Amino acid sequence: MIVPVGAVLGLSAVLFGIGVFGFLARRNIILMLISIEVMLNAVNLSLAAFSRHLEDLRGQILALFVIAVAAAEVGVGLGLVIALNRNRPGAGVADLTKLKW
Amino acid sequence: MTLPTATFYYMAAASIASALLAVTRKNPVHSMLWVLVLFLHVAGIFLLLGAEFLAAVQVIVYAGAILIFYLFVVMLLDLPDEEARPRFGKHWPIAAAVGLCVAALAWLARVGTGVAPAATRVAAGGQSEGGLSAIGMALFGPFALPFEMASLLLLAAIIGAVVLARRRAAGS
Repeated sequence: MIVPVGAVLGLSAVLFGIGVFGFLARRNIILMLISIEVMLNAVNLSLAAFSRHLEDLRGQILALFVIAVAAAEVGVGLGLVIALNRNRPGAGVADLTKLKW
Repeated sequence: MTLPTATFYYMAAASIASALLAVTRKNPVHSMLWVLVLFLHVAGIFLLLGAEFLAAVQVIVYAGAILIFYLFVVMLLDLPDEEARPRFGKHWPIAAAVGLCVAALAWLARVGTGVAPAATRVAAGGQSEGGLSAIGMALFGPFALPFEMASLLLLAAIIGAVVLARRRAAGS
């Protein structure tokens, strides 16, 4: 099975850039979290590519930990979104200025 | 061009297209579905890279658990005025420039790793002796401490999510 590792790393770079753009540009909190997922997936891709290239399993194991951290992040992030929506229904990112001074 | 290489380029093109669609769709549910397409294609690339367990975890945890959680929250919150609101902030060109810069930086960083030349090929047959059992041995051998810490992190996340999303009792 022959896959060019450089191309996988390039794909990972492009996906990460798309995730950064989505996180900075979108105004919906849930879609910002989704953009973070896209970025984490890009990182996992490059970890798997390096694991393949160096013939070392540590890359794959690190990717597993990244997935675990992503699951934890989703739980807390969506908990925050629900709490936010309960306190101020329909509030967008632009309306949340309570911590601003 | 051999069949695995062609498959890889199809997966790469489909991943980029679905990621772009996911961050630009107006309807959050459509975005989720495009992200699902992205996750499945990334799982396919994991398979091509010889990371079968990672591909399975990608489908089960990402596509199965995390995305369903997102969909539940989107449908629970019932965002009515999301369609009316502009989908991008005022400064989205700056965001696009930053994203482009980060992608270009990561693209250029490939050169420093010695992996960059497109001719670099991974020798076939690496990690041939049972990827899954090797991962299991590594997880419970040298990576036992990080593994336990991941479980602790997930426990903390569970408790945090319950505390955050709990409805406060009227008196307290």
